[in-house]
Amino acid sequence: MKNVIEVKHLTKSYKQNKAVDDLSLAVKEGEILGLLGPNGSGKTTTMNCILSLLKYDAGDIKIFGKEMAPDAYDTKAKIGVVFQEVAVFDELTVYGNIDYFCGLYIEDKATRAQYVEDALKLVGLEENKNQYPKQLSGGLLRRLNIACGIAHKPKLIFLDEPTVAVDPQSRNNILEGIKKLRDDGATIIYTTHYMEEVEILCDRVIILDHGKIIAEGTNDELKALAKIEEKVTVEVAELSPKQLSGFEKIKNVDSVSYEEGALKVVFGKGKNNLAEMIEYLKANRINYSRIFAERPTLNDVFLELTGKELRD
Amino acid sequence: MFFHNYKYALKTLLKNKALVFWTLAFPFILAIFFNLAFARLHDYDQFEPFDIAIVRDDAYNNEQTFAAAFKTLTSGDERMFKAKYVDFDEADKMLDEEKVEGIVYVKDGQAHVKIKGNGTNQTVLKMTTEQVAQMSGMIDDIADAEQQRAGGTLNLIEVKMKAAEIVQNAQPKISDDSHVMNVVSIEFFTLIAMACMQGAMLSSEMLNRCLPNLSHRGKRVAIAPTKKSVVVLSNLLAGYTMLLGSVILLILFMRFVLGVDFGDNMGLIMLLASIGSLTATMFGMLLAVMFKMSDNAKQVVVLIITMVGCLFAGMFGGMKIFFDEACPWMNKINPVGLITDGFYSLLYYDDMTRFIVNALSLVALAAIFFVLSVRNLRRARYDSV
Repeated sequence: MKNVIEVKHLTKSYKQNKAVDDLSLAVKEGEILGLLGPNGSGKTTTMNCILSLLKYDAGDIKIFGKEMAPDAYDTKAKIGVVFQEVAVFDELTVYGNIDYFCGLYIEDKATRAQYVEDALKLVGLEENKNQYPKQLSGGLLRRLNIACGIAHKPKLIFLDEPTVAVDPQSRNNILEGIKKLRDDGATIIYTTHYMEEVEILCDRVIILDHGKIIAEGTNDELKALAKIEEKVTVEVAELSPKQLSGFEKIKNVDSVSYEEGALKVVFGKGKNNLAEMIEYLKANRINYSRIFAERPTLNDVFLELTGKELRD
Repeated sequence: MFFHNYKYALKTLLKNKALVFWTLAFPFILAIFFNLAFARLHDYDQFEPFDIAIVRDDAYNNEQTFAAAFKTLTSGDERMFKAKYVDFDEADKMLDEEKVEGIVYVKDGQAHVKIKGNGTNQTVLKMTTEQVAQMSGMIDDIADAEQQRAGGTLNLIEVKMKAAEIVQNAQPKISDDSHVMNVVSIEFFTLIAMACMQGAMLSSEMLNRCLPNLSHRGKRVAIAPTKKSVVVLSNLLAGYTMLLGSVILLILFMRFVLGVDFGDNMGLIMLLASIGSLTATMFGMLLAVMFKMSDNAKQVVVLIITMVGCLFAGMFGGMKIFFDEACPWMNKINPVGLITDGFYSLLYYDDMTRFIVNALSLVALAAIFFVLSVRNLRRARYDSV
C-alpha cells in the first residue's frame, strides 16, 4: 500500500518552544491513523504544518507524492479537514453552510447538491437542514462542522478532535460516520486525546508528547509496550492492612492499592490472574460486591512511557 | 467559484444584524434625527431674523472680509440676523439676559461664536459664522495671491466687494426655496461620508473570513483549492456591493423622503459616493490584513476612526474650520473630509476642479490601501493560526 502522506524531519517552534520536534511519519492509503497525545503535545500544529497553513522551520512534506504548498491546488482538492473549532456561518442554514464549503471544491451544481445530501445523511442532519447553527445543540453543531469538512468526498481527511464536548449519541454518530468514510476508501488522520476513540477507530496509532513521537504501532503493538498484563479491580467494603498486604503475595502481582472501597491489583504477567484472585478472596473470607479485570489501555502505555496520564 | 463565493458572502452580510445596523440602519436613523433637528430651517416662511451681538473691536475690524460679509448678512430686507455692535462685556451681559441668541467675536484672527443653549437659531448662527469664516479665509487667500501677482496694486475695496458678492451668491441658496439651506446640507454630506466610511466594517469582516490567521472559517477557506485572490476579491466585492447599495439608498432617502437639497448633481454625488465607498472598502481590507483583532474590535476601531474623521470634516459643528487651519493636511488624507468637501464643492462651485481633486485623492487613498494590503497578503504563510 502506498503512502498518502510522507513527513520527514518536521520541526516547528514558537519562539523558544519546540511545538514539533524532528517529527517523521508516513500514512498509508486507506488507513485511519490516530495521532494521540495530551493537550499541547503538537498534534494540531503537526496537522496545520502538513496542510501548509503554518510556516515551519524545517522538514519535507509530501501528500499524494507531491510537495505540499499553499498553492498546491490539485492536492488540496483531494483533502478534507474538520477543525477542532466549529467553523460555520451563523447566517447560513445547515444546508447553506455545507453547500458553501462544498462549493469551494465542487463547481457543478447538480453534483454538489447530491454531495450535500450525502453529507447530511452521513452525519444524520437531514431533518435539521433548514435550521441555523444557533438552533442546533453542541453535538449537532459538531456534526455540521464535520459535514462541512467532508462533503466534497475527499480522499484524505484530517479530523482534529471532532468529538470534543459532544453528547454520547452524537459521539457514536460521528464515530460511525468516520468508519463509513474509511469504508468508502478515504485515508484518515484522526487527532484526539480520547484513547477510547483511538482504540475503536484507528488501524495504527502515533503517540505524541512535546512534539515528538514517543511510540508508534497498532493498538496491540502499543499495548505490548506496557509492562502490565492485567488490572483487576475488586469492590470491597472493608479491608485491613494485613489483608491488603496479603494480596501482594499472590503470584504475578506487581502492585496493590486500596482507595474508596476499590481494591486495584496490577498483574505484570500470567494468564489466570482473575481466577487466582477469586480463590484468594474466598480462602480469606473477604466479602466483595463486584470484581472485574481490564487489559492495559493506551493510557497505561502513555503512563509507562512518560510517567503522566494522557489527560494531565 | 467567484460567483459562488460572492453570492454566499453577500447573503451572510445581509443577514448579519450588527453590520446591517451600523452600515444601513444607523445612517438612516441619524438622517432622520438630523432632519428633525433642522426641520425648522427647511421652512423658509418660518425663518425670521433673530438678534445677535457682534463684538466690534480691533480684532474684528482687522478681519475686513469677515466683517464685510457679516455686514451683508445683517442688513437689508433679506438679512439673517439683527445685529447689535457692542463690546464683549456688554455682549456677554446681553446673552445672559437672553436679549441675543449668540455673540460673534474675533480673537487671534479666528472667528468665534458664543451661544447659550442648542436651539435652531444657535445652530444657524454657528454654522453661518463657520461658513462665512471659511469663505472669508478663502477670499483673503485668493486676494493675497492676486495682489502678489499684481505687484500689490489691488484695491482692498475690491476685496470687500468680492466678499460681499460671494456672500450674496451664497445667501439666495439659504433663502431660495429651490436650494434649501445649504448649511444643513453640509451635515447631510458628512453623514453620507460617514455611511461610506462605516463600510470599512464590511470589508474588514469579509477579509476576516478569508484568512486563516484571523478566523476558523478562514482556515477552512485557506485549505480549499480556491485561489486566495478569487476568495478575497469576491468577498470584497460583496462588501462593496452591500455598502454601495446602502449608501445609494441613503442618498435617495435623503433626497426624496427628507427633501435634502443636493442641487442638480445627483449623478456626480452618486459617483463620489461610489468612490468613497471603494476607499472605505480598501481601508477595511488594510485594517483586517494589518491587525489581528476580533470582528467586534475591528468594528469599534472603524467606528472610532469614522467618527474622528467626521469630527475633522465638520459633522459636529465648527471643528472643520479649526482643523483646516490647525492642520490643513488632515482633511486632505481624511476620506470623510474628502467626500464631504467633494459634495460641498459640487453645490458651491461651478468649477469642477475641487471636486475632481477630492475624487482623485480618494482614488489614490484606495490604491494605497489596496497595494499595502496585497503586499501583506501575497504568499503569506503564518507563524500561528
